[in-house]
Amino acid sequence: MESLGNTLANLLTIAWLLPLFGFVVQILFALRWWGRKSKTAAYLAIFCIGAGFVCSSTAFYLWGEGTDWAVFKPSEHGHVEQADAGGADHATAGRDDPEHKITSHESEKQAVFAGPLYTLATFGNLHVSLDYYIDSLTLAMFVMVTLIATCIHIFATGYMAEELVDDYVDHQVHTHDGGHFHRPGRFYKFFSYMSLFCFAMLGLVLAGNIFQVFIFWELVGICSYLLIGFYVERHSASTAANKAFIVNRVGDFGFIIGLMILWTSFGTFSFADQHGTNGKVQPGLFSMARGHDGELTKTADGKTVVLKTEQDGHGHWEAPAEPSHQKTITYTLLIVAGLGVFGGCVGKSAQFPLQTWLPDAMEGPTPVSALVHSATMVAAGVYLAGRFYPMFVPEVLLTIAYVGCITAFVGATIAIVATDIKKVLAYSTISQLGYMMLGLGVGGWGAGLFHLITHACFKSLMFLCSGSVIAGCHHEQEMTKMGGLLRKMPITALTMLAGVIAIAGLAIPGTSIAFSGYHSKDAILATALAYTKLNPIHFLLFVVPLLTAGITSFYMFRLWFYTFLGKPRDQHLHEHVHESPWEMTGPLLLLAVLAAGCAIGGEDGRLFKMLTFSEPVGVGHGVDGAAAHTVSLPGHAAVHESHSTAGSAALLAAFIGMSISYLVYGKGVINPADIKRQAASVHAFLANKWGFDDLYDVMFVKPAHVVAKFAAAIDKFVFDEILHTFVRMGIAVSKWDRKFDEGVIDGIVNLMGNSTYSLGISLRNVQTGKIRQYVTFIAVSVVTLFVLLFALYPKG
Amino acid sequence: MQAIGPSPFLFIGAVLFVCGVICMTTKRNGIGILMGVELVLNAANLNFITFSRFTPLGLDGQVFSLFVIVLAAAEAAVALAIALNFYNNHLTIDVDRGDELHG
Amino acid sequence: MFTAETLTSWIIFVPTIFAFFLVFFEKKAVEAMRVFALAGTVVTFFLSLALIGQFTAGDGGMQGLVKKEWIASWNINYQLGYDGISLTLVVLSAFVFLVSMLASWGIEKHVKGYLILFLILETGVMGVFFALDFFLFYVFWEVMLLPMYFLIGVWGGPRREYAAIKFFLYTLAGGVLMLIALLMYYFGSATPEAMAITGHSGGSFDLLKLAEMAQSGKIFSPGLQVAGFILLFIGFAIKVPTFPFHTWLPDAHVEAPTPISMILAGVLLKLGGYGIIRIAFPLCPYGAQVGAYALVAIGVISIIYGAFAALAQTDFKRMVAYSSVSHMGYVLLGIAVWKISEVTGAAEGRDYWLMGMNGAMFQMIAHGVSSPGMFFMVGVIYDRVHHRDLNQFGGLSGLMPNYSGMAAVIFFAGLGLPGLCGFIGEVFVVLSAWNYSKTLAIVSAGGVILTAGYILWALQRVYLGPVYKGPHPEAITPMTSREQAIGWLLIVPCLVLGVYPNFVFNYTNDSLTKLVETLDSGYQNTPKPNTVQTTQK
Repeated sequence: MESLGNTLANLLTIAWLLPLFGFVVQILFALRWWGRKSKTAAYLAIFCIGAGFVCSSTAFYLWGEGTDWAVFKPSEHGHVEQADAGGADHATAGRDDPEHKITSHESEKQAVFAGPLYTLATFGNLHVSLDYYIDSLTLAMFVMVTLIATCIHIFATGYMAEELVDDYVDHQVHTHDGGHFHRPGRFYKFFSYMSLFCFAMLGLVLAGNIFQVFIFWELVGICSYLLIGFYVERHSASTAANKAFIVNRVGDFGFIIGLMILWTSFGTFSFADQHGTNGKVQPGLFSMARGHDGELTKTADGKTVVLKTEQDGHGHWEAPAEPSHQKTITYTLLIVAGLGVFGGCVGKSAQFPLQTWLPDAMEGPTPVSALVHSATMVAAGVYLAGRFYPMFVPEVLLTIAYVGCITAFVGATIAIVATDIKKVLAYSTISQLGYMMLGLGVGGWGAGLFHLITHACFKSLMFLCSGSVIAGCHHEQEMTKMGGLLRKMPITALTMLAGVIAIAGLAIPGTSIAFSGYHSKDAILATALAYTKLNPIHFLLFVVPLLTAGITSFYMFRLWFYTFLGKPRDQHLHEHVHESPWEMTGPLLLLAVLAAGCAIGGEDGRLFKMLTFSEPVGVGHGVDGAAAHTVSLPGHAAVHESHSTAGSAALLAAFIGMSISYLVYGKGVINPADIKRQAASVHAFLANKWGFDDLYDVMFVKPAHVVAKFAAAIDKFVFDEILHTFVRMGIAVSKWDRKFDEGVIDGIVNLMGNSTYSLGISLRNVQTGKIRQYVTFIAVSVVTLFVLLFALYPKG
Repeated sequence: MQAIGPSPFLFIGAVLFVCGVICMTTKRNGIGILMGVELVLNAANLNFITFSRFTPLGLDGQVFSLFVIVLAAAEAAVALAIALNFYNNHLTIDVDRGDELHG
Repeated sequence: MFTAETLTSWIIFVPTIFAFFLVFFEKKAVEAMRVFALAGTVVTFFLSLALIGQFTAGDGGMQGLVKKEWIASWNINYQLGYDGISLTLVVLSAFVFLVSMLASWGIEKHVKGYLILFLILETGVMGVFFALDFFLFYVFWEVMLLPMYFLIGVWGGPRREYAAIKFFLYTLAGGVLMLIALLMYYFGSATPEAMAITGHSGGSFDLLKLAEMAQSGKIFSPGLQVAGFILLFIGFAIKVPTFPFHTWLPDAHVEAPTPISMILAGVLLKLGGYGIIRIAFPLCPYGAQVGAYALVAIGVISIIYGAFAALAQTDFKRMVAYSSVSHMGYVLLGIAVWKISEVTGAAEGRDYWLMGMNGAMFQMIAHGVSSPGMFFMVGVIYDRVHHRDLNQFGGLSGLMPNYSGMAAVIFFAGLGLPGLCGFIGEVFVVLSAWNYSKTLAIVSAGGVILTAGYILWALQRVYLGPVYKGPHPEAITPMTSREQAIGWLLIVPCLVLGVYPNFVFNYTNDSLTKLVETLDSGYQNTPKPNTVQTTQK
């Protein structure tokens, strides 16, 4: 198994690093070697990501072989040897333990390969490293990301072809003299950024510890920044790029807090157990928190969680009985840590309340929206929430569920009124990401991630379709100017329809024949229903998503009808519309097939089974809230019971939504303008995106600038002023000192000098220079002296 | 000869000294002043010899006066040279004209 | 010829030797003088690399010790040595001097004087890093001050006199505080107990001996340690600089010529951090522990305050200067996260403290590369258009694509992007802080948002957008090859350090491990007055 782990790690590492190589070559040499007008850079990028796809697929195949394709076998016969290079949970956990009947077959399914790649730093017992962690989720993500990225790269060679010039005219930027802005084309740069993004995204998926996730988290953030701001000349683009990065940083603020708590309390970042250099196995985060049975070990008062840091005879991680050996974390901190990490996910996945950046991010070229802002990067938040699932306690999951629920609803409502084709899709992305979070939050680990994969397929398809439409309409994005494009661009229209059906969740009633979206959404709704059955107080968690499913169906069909059916609204534009070339329609067809068929079989299908193969232990049998937690989580059995109810309800909602949409926009029975007039205030509210942007501007952006000005003013007027006061005092003192010096000390010295001088002046008169006078003086003086001598001392 | 004490010698010496001093104070001629100096010196010599003769000091006085005579000769030579130089510069030997060093 | 013992002296005095020979150059031979001075910095840099070769890995103690009697009656010695802490900083300084020398080609005024002062400054800096005698340290500290004063005051911008005097006064004030502490320790170590350690009568200036005395805990009273720590800390904090002693920095940076800004940011600020690690902490472990909370708080305030102040600036260079305040706050934060267990009195979670220390060292090195880079990038555009108003730029990415790309990388390094050098230091420091204080750790984590805010906003206003809005658009020309070379010289270490942080940790970790152990035992050995409460939370 060791060798399989290494092979997988090597394959995925190659897939991960190839785009980095592509990036370096493109950014440094593309212009010099191939020039602006060459597509070679794109081919290199496609080669890198395509080879990555081959590597990932091979890894997936090898993994299947290595685990005996246990994924696709009925679970009763499932038999997986312990396949764990890094010493993760024991595969045979609980087999001989009758109490854990349900967990037993789940634990058996563990097929995790983890190990170190590269040590960043070691401080005493603390290690910071890059690791890999490969399970079926990793592999699914790898295959999904590389496949979709390859499609989008190919699409982009067509879409970005107009950049293959020395003099590109940007019609959206005006110079001072009223003309359009001219600049050299940046074809190679686009692909180099895309390659860098693929590298970062794959690194994020491969990450074996939460710190590594954070590293690549930031890297995908900067790629997103670069790609949103690709048209750097457009002020709106650079502002949107800044907004995306900074809003993400707000989420990362929470992420860092989560990291700090985990790092300090657990002493490791690693998901899986690690082999130390001394042969001792160090438990990873999941083992420490959950052990082999998925349960937290709490102290008697329930306020503190004891970490499982000792291995028992079976190799299970258990909490040490001796209190002095125990490593503990308070339950509150565990909640905060979970919320913190989820905060990062909120930022990256554009969840309420940080969703505002994603619609603005549509400033980037459409392939970027398809790859980064629908299929992969924004899904990274969901991926992380899924990956980190064992660390989330039910209270955190409840928060996740509500955040997801609100996001789904808010996104969907705004999508109703959006008229920019890409904005509709952006809000729909937000809404669908909310669904995923909701699914995870209500205990549907598999359901949430299932939707992640299906959504990636159909949403990237729809974005590419919109890209095709935009390219065909010469960069017109407003749906109000489109209409009747079905004839002009049939492939785009039909593939788009496939995507629309998929996202709306339509199915043939009574059968399970449906496009992918139906299955995954159904899975989420079923879990939500089971959840609300267990926790009736949280009934909104089922009702709102159900309603949202209807809305989703409505606005997606609105988009399709608006764009492709009806009469052309702008005749001039319509005449110039053309179907896109093969390198754009080819990927559309492939993705349409995926969007339709990737989830065949629903929850008995291969995709879902493969994902749930890596389900964290303990999810399957749910959590009974009566014991200690505030909420209960449904197990697989409970979910299964609600399936048919939820499925029919969702289908009904979708059909209602579609029908209304058809009546309004397809048939024109009801005039949308009338509705708009009737509900003008609601429309304004929705069109204003619920006012989040204004609110944040008033609440955070402006205050931050005020505080900043204040800080700068403090420097200028307080600290500098204090210094200046000191200096002024010093100068004043020295002025007095000078006066004293000049007046008193110098005065005395000068006085002495002056008096000596004047004495000398007065004596100089005696010095006549006349020799006879001198002699007379001498004689007279001598006589006088003698006279005096005799007078004073008469008798000697 | 026996009866003569030191007093007459000292008297002559005093007279000579006073003559010399008066000569120095009154004469404006440089040479005249030199003569006054010689008179003063010789007055001193006379006193030396007198005290040497009438006290038990032996020959000390005579030796001193010999030194003074030699010195006076040297002094006269230097002084005459100065006088000549002075004359060269001022075309006179009136000492009252040589007052450049006055204060 | 070049053993570790002699190399230290060579590194210190090679620049002086070159400066001496510069005197004999013809005044007109400007180019020759520049090349000659550059050779001086290159030689010094290679000597510092040779010193790495002499370094024994895995040894946390002092290496290459040199001790020559200097002023015997006062027990003052010419004592040099280095460990991982000084070694990394010496290499960094030699590198920054080399790069700044390359950036000095644009200086046209009194070139000879400039170059001589420049090289003397290098001698002072190297001397500070190697000195192990407190007095010698002080001497080099002051030697460094004067050239800097003239370099700002003569070759600076319009308000250069003001800036130079401000710099001079601040630093001198710090120096005076250090002098008081120096005398306190000199006379404090003149006790009979101290004789057992020094082996001679009278006080001592030997930093190693003084640290040993502090570790033994019996010689320096808690009161002395607290007072000494306050004096030393303020003295060094001015240099770092931390809130509220930072206002000299923006003025000095704005007025100084580009290469001098680079040295100021890249090297001189590090001396403050180095002083805290090398002198303030080892000499007063008790005082350091008592003041730890204040230090961490000051560090956090510097981070946030500097970032806010940077956000408000309209002068490009001033903004970068404030970013230095913010970034150096992490250094202080990382050094001081020393948590004491209430029960045992020993350090709690010592590995986290070690991580913080290492993070702080890394942050110093990283900032020593990225900050000169940022100043250089500001200098490049300033040389062309002669203004720095952030609101009057724009569109440079189209006009100077290479320059903009390089600047973006450097600024992203300052922003703390993974894979570039700024990330590791910042994140390691912040991660280590939770163990010490939850509140302060959370506040410090808030810095990431603000940093992203001011850097991205500045990038947008300067490099992005369609057209250049300011004066002299005709002067905007692509980077010269010399400028490109400097850019690459700065970018490459940014990347290398970001990807391979062990490049620093390999050298610092052992020394810091030893330091942390020493401090821990020093604090435990010091008898605690009952009235003094530790400021733990």
